[in-house]
Amino acid sequence: MMLSQGQSAEQMVSFDTFQASVASVPNEASHRLVLLTARQIGPEFALLAVLGRLEDAAREAAPGTACRSQSGVEVLQTVLESSSFPSFTPSVPQAHWFERAIFDFFRLAPEGHPRFKSLILHEPWSADMFPLRDPGGEKICGFDAATSPTRHRSYEFLRVRGAGVYEIPVGPIHAGIIEPGHFRFSCLGEIIENLEIRLGYQHRGLERRVTEVPWQHVRFVAENASSDTTVANAIAHAHAVEQLCGIEVSPAARALRVVACELERLACHIGDLGGICSDIGFLGGATTFGRLRGTVLGMAERLGGSRFLTNYVRPGGVRSLPSEEMRHELATALRELRRELSWALPGLLENQGALDRMEGVGTVRADFARDFGLVGPAGRASAGLVDAPVASSSAGKSHGEGGAALHRDAVGRGGAPPYDVRAAFGRDDYPDLRVAARTTGDVCARVAVRAAEVQCSLDLVAARLDVREGPACVALPEYLPAHRIGIGLVEAWRGELLHLIVTGASGEIVRYAVKDPSFNNWTGLAIAARGELVFDFPLCNKSFGLSYSGNDL
Amino acid sequence: MLDTLFHLFRTGRVTQRPLFPDLPEYSRGLPDLTDAACNDCGACASVCPTRAVSVAGGGVTLDLGRCLACGECVSNCPTLTIVANRSTRVAVRAREDLILHSPRRPASTVSPPSSSLFRRSFHIREVSTGDNASDLEVAASNNPIFDVSRFGVHFVASPRHADALLVTGPVGLAMQEPLRRCLLAVPSPRLVIAAGASAISGVPFNGGYASADGVDATLAAMPVEDGGSPPSADVYIPGHPPHPWYLIHGILLAMGHPAAHETRAEGARSR
Repeated sequence: MMLSQGQSAEQMVSFDTFQASVASVPNEASHRLVLLTARQIGPEFALLAVLGRLEDAAREAAPGTACRSQSGVEVLQTVLESSSFPSFTPSVPQAHWFERAIFDFFRLAPEGHPRFKSLILHEPWSADMFPLRDPGGEKICGFDAATSPTRHRSYEFLRVRGAGVYEIPVGPIHAGIIEPGHFRFSCLGEIIENLEIRLGYQHRGLERRVTEVPWQHVRFVAENASSDTTVANAIAHAHAVEQLCGIEVSPAARALRVVACELERLACHIGDLGGICSDIGFLGGATTFGRLRGTVLGMAERLGGSRFLTNYVRPGGVRSLPSEEMRHELATALRELRRELSWALPGLLENQGALDRMEGVGTVRADFARDFGLVGPAGRASAGLVDAPVASSSAGKSHGEGGAALHRDAVGRGGAPPYDVRAAFGRDDYPDLRVAARTTGDVCARVAVRAAEVQCSLDLVAARLDVREGPACVALPEYLPAHRIGIGLVEAWRGELLHLIVTGASGEIVRYAVKDPSFNNWTGLAIAARGELVFDFPLCNKSFGLSYSGNDL
Repeated sequence: MLDTLFHLFRTGRVTQRPLFPDLPEYSRGLPDLTDAACNDCGACASVCPTRAVSVAGGGVTLDLGRCLACGECVSNCPTLTIVANRSTRVAVRAREDLILHSPRRPASTVSPPSSSLFRRSFHIREVSTGDNASDLEVAASNNPIFDVSRFGVHFVASPRHADALLVTGPVGLAMQEPLRRCLLAVPSPRLVIAAGASAISGVPFNGGYASADGVDATLAAMPVEDGGSPPSADVYIPGHPPHPWYLIHGILLAMGHPAAHETRAEGARSR
């Protein structure tokens, strides 16, 4: 059932309880650390964790119930007694970037973190600035960076030593039309021994900005967390606000949100399949998928007046309901798209030349994927041994790869079951979802998962164009309720996306956290590149298709 | 493979031939001002998330360089002073040309025509700084539908090979030095194109601790040397994200291409 008006923001647990809950994550394959962050409460600081328990969600979310299920998602907070805390990373690897970000923004040090250094904030920021600490006066008096025991603002890449090892620095500005980030390859000959990814170049101060504007305008900032994921960010924001206010949107608005989100998934998956084609030199595929992506953007423009559906989803519902003519045109465009994809997708997935370039490249073992909590298509491509009913609809159909892989011993061992927010926490909106998964974890598996999701999204959109009950948007209160926590958890096209809102005494937003799926998955790319050839890296990178700005916020 | 080739041939040409077509009537486009009298209700200013619109004494001012194209002002204007403009010829060469007034004021300055140096061949280095939807639209301008390369425009891998930088995103603090160094690596004469409202003014992140205030704020901090590093961008392309046709218009404007210099079409305007 839906939590009425979110959870109280004042509810705290002891540090021991908090620690025990977080530390339990690696023991259960279906437990996730969705978010680990901090917030300031007057002069004190609290750690805040969002834990996902997938089996609870599966048990309690009976399909067809009216309310959005959030059971299985738990928010825990504990007040810290000092400006440091024992690091969770040694036992819970999923926490490793979260803890580095906590120091960057709050100057709370994770004691015992195995690779502690700055994550987001670079040298240009003054060493005594911690932007989410003490809003309004970010400078901390009496903190001397030079004598600080931590190495904040200075950044050292991991050095790989040995005869013949050399480094290739790449970025921040890359050769293609793509976002900035720095890749440091340590190589022996053409083999990548280690890849360290340094991001943060696009940090725009989003989590502070959303606490500075009126809450009715926050959605315009939230949409831009990663603007190629406008719809999913807008839905996550809307869910968080609606949970805070205890508001239920109309059936039509819920259906149209799914349509919008799946159109975004279609456009991005199809576009990235085109990118894969260019990276393997299959130009016919590249131009075809580029053109079909345009068809999807045209449908989005027909639905919401904007190719990226900006300002379409909003708290309370959606901007407008489509007319009968529009619904008809969308259905026609969808049929045409399906017809074209029926030859374009096999043109890639059944093309032996393409498969040769993708199979066995950029492999992420299932146990690594689980340890680091990979999400989205990348996580589902490295799934643990897949349950037959979940995977039967998609695995192994296109070219026999998945079916054989299920029986190979080494593959998928130690992994987690395929995780999709839509299946785990959103069954009410997605009763007809088919979760696609693979166990091989290579470029081919990630491409196959995304191709299967394209097929599924076509069906999800088609089934929702006829829902008409209810208004486009319901009214919202003028103020948000005080001292509450609201969360919105969405399966964006890259995977699990979280928006979390904490309100203060007069309903103002005091903490707003965004966890983009890329924040989990960048580590997956570093693992995938290890042991590969340098010139296969662009292909690995494109198969993940991660967001730099969503990570940097 | 034969099947793929068969379908590729059967698809035929998909490139849009008429240049700069108006956006379809269901598209939001960009807001525009008419001479219809404003009643000072202030609805537009209160719904605008980026303070792009202001109202005073029966006059409206609209800064397209700060506009997220959300369409809220258009749907909230009772007097039809603010309407949607579906023209795709929206790029300008002076920042102040993006600031619209109602009632309309005569254009103050006429920009001198740009040099014809790049008219037939133009090589662009794209620099992304935090708005990846704009990057996707830049990539789309290169696809078979919009096909910007038919004008001799190429996106290159190195600033050393480039005639211009095309910058998207608000340029936060950590990207300012990389952007300056990238610009200095472009041989003179060189141009800068600010693509999208974020690149022009940093919206919706401007004024924060990350100093994400757009391209001009970063260029202003560059040392001016002989031959002149540009103190500001040469072309501004509004939109959030800018439509591929907006981008092509801005690029052709920077090239001094005749197709971009035809008088600014009004475009279809309506609610």
